[in-house]
Amino acid sequence: MHLLLVGISHRTAPVDVRERMDFATRGLPAALDKLAGCGSTAETIVVSTCNRAEIYAACEDIETARNDIATFISEFNGVSSSAVAPHLYAALDLDAARHLFRVAAGLDSLVVGEPQILGQVKSAHAAAVSAQTAGPILNRLFHASFAAGKRVRTETGLGSGAVSVSYAAVSLARKIFGDLDGRAVVVVGAGEMGKLTALHMKSQGVQHVTIVSRTLQHAARTAEAIGGASAAPWEELDSALSASDILISATGAASPILTKAHVESVMRSRRNRPLFIIDIAMPRDVEPAAGEIEQVFLYNIDDLQATVRENLQRRASEVAKAEAIVSEETDKFTAWFRSRAAVPTIVALRQRFESIRRSELERLDFKLAALPSESRTRVDEITRLIVEKLLLTPTEQLKSAGDDADAMAAYSEALTRLFALNDPPQATPEASRGTSKVEPFARKPSRPR
Amino acid sequence: MNAAPLVLYAIALAAYAWHFAQRNATVGRTATTLLIFAALAHTFVIGMQTMEVGHVPVAGPTSAISTFVWLLGLAYLYTELTTDERAMGVFILPLLVTLQSIPALRPGVEDRAAVLQGPLFGVHVSSLLFAYASFALACVIGITYVLLFKEIKAKHLGFFYARLPSLQVLDRMNQVAVVVGWIFLTIGIIVGAIWAMQARGGYGVDPRVQAMSLQDPKIFVALVCWFVYSFELFAARRIGWGGRRAAYLSAVGFAIVLLNFVPISYFLTKSHNF
Repeated sequence: MHLLLVGISHRTAPVDVRERMDFATRGLPAALDKLAGCGSTAETIVVSTCNRAEIYAACEDIETARNDIATFISEFNGVSSSAVAPHLYAALDLDAARHLFRVAAGLDSLVVGEPQILGQVKSAHAAAVSAQTAGPILNRLFHASFAAGKRVRTETGLGSGAVSVSYAAVSLARKIFGDLDGRAVVVVGAGEMGKLTALHMKSQGVQHVTIVSRTLQHAARTAEAIGGASAAPWEELDSALSASDILISATGAASPILTKAHVESVMRSRRNRPLFIIDIAMPRDVEPAAGEIEQVFLYNIDDLQATVRENLQRRASEVAKAEAIVSEETDKFTAWFRSRAAVPTIVALRQRFESIRRSELERLDFKLAALPSESRTRVDEITRLIVEKLLLTPTEQLKSAGDDADAMAAYSEALTRLFALNDPPQATPEASRGTSKVEPFARKPSRPR
Repeated sequence: MNAAPLVLYAIALAAYAWHFAQRNATVGRTATTLLIFAALAHTFVIGMQTMEVGHVPVAGPTSAISTFVWLLGLAYLYTELTTDERAMGVFILPLLVTLQSIPALRPGVEDRAAVLQGPLFGVHVSSLLFAYASFALACVIGITYVLLFKEIKAKHLGFFYARLPSLQVLDRMNQVAVVVGWIFLTIGIIVGAIWAMQARGGYGVDPRVQAMSLQDPKIFVALVCWFVYSFELFAARRIGWGGRRAAYLSAVGFAIVLLNFVPISYFLTKSHNF
């Protein structure tokens, strides 16, 4: 059984191709159903986000499965295969596993370390579980990917720090005020930038947004666009400020509209409650010296961008740590995945030993019949323990040989031949001959003495 | 006997420091567990001493320090468990370890003078110890507030930004700690004054009771403390001295408390050297 990944992502495809790969709206259950119908895959999971569509499958015949999946991707999305094919990538077995672990860890994301991806991978797995297209291999693979993603999240700083200006502003506001619920924001200027930042603040729990503009109509229009915001005329700026906690300033004014002295007078009327000023206007709306006032936290667009850059650098420096974790988790999964190759041989070997034990016990049944039933149970138990002990080391050795495919094949081959595992195991006379043949071997070690 | 909790406090400190640096949740929980064990061991030690001498050992400066450390540990644990903020531990634990080393190095419980028997004395000492524990917490919270405040003001969001709760939360915690401390400080001073008046009636010949006046450094400095904290509470509410200024005042206040608690108790006071 092989592990196969076929996918398309922001790394290989431009946005106009990517946006047509929309499994989420067309329905994951339908997609999983259709894939299972192909017949060339034993297990399938579809991971679909706005930046990627990836199909993980467990299959026997790699080529057929790969072609089936490629055809499925183009057909399901109604895109010609010639338009999709050049952007598809595929990975096999451990490379596929490593890829999924990197995805779950956020290492393959457009913004490295973004937090949503792990949840998206989890819901992709959940969808496959409820559609019953996930089996033992993909279940193990995906659970391992959750572990890898979680480890990267908790053990590295890959996901820490805001990496967009508006998130940086919100995270600062949270560090100053704690909860944003019930806080009030004043937006000065009716432009697009102020509106966007206000919308973002509102989505983070800010209660009151007041728009102040030189022309009241503009302010009213923007307030309406935000929804649940109020507009105030320019003259009420000071009173709005004294009732608010955050000021977003985004006018097109050529010279500062708020001087240090002005902010100082506002702070007096606020009894020095903290005021967070976000000056996203260019040129600046608030005199930089205003930031020197106690309890005034003034950040302009450059400051916010600088913190974003710092965070991105910090994330980049954590990439190596995250990759190391992904490698560790890949190795763990690899060991399990490869040891699976040994499973048929181990099962056959155990069956062979067990059948020998049973047939010998049956053969000696007339001799044992005289014994009390308690002793017979003990004989049964002792023989079983001997078989277990004999098999313990070979089983472990075989499983650990999984790292080396050639060694594994050689071991399996040797075991199959030595114990005639391909022959039907129910031949009692052969088995008894086998035991008698073992006797000289058993004496052998005593000879050198 | 006080060495066992000292060792546990020290191990807990190492765990808190490791947690603060690495932000590993498991290490954090281990640190809290260690501190709980330290506090339990300390409770056991104080319990044993109480059984041994027949009263809670708070009369002499050494046993008072041990009890103070115990109260501060419990007060911190209460704060941590109710707010789920573990970052302050790395600032509190050094204080616990340093102060606990005094009783660990001077074993035994001081004898209690006859004049110190009676309920008023117990109320006086325990309220003051509890007040000091609150002020210690307020001081540490204030220090972390200033560290975070400086990072945000300097627009360099780094180490503390990633580890400490918000300024608002720190400010509120500081206020609560100062209010609680101030209430107990006030009770402690008033009860002390009443007790001193009574003692003067019964034990007027004792030179220590005679020295109980505003000229005694311990009593004088305690009143200075009371004024500092009263001012902090007034200023935060009336003249907008919240935030960083309140944090600085908490630090100054606790520095005076420590001064009063350790060097003055051992070397300078003539009224409180029991």
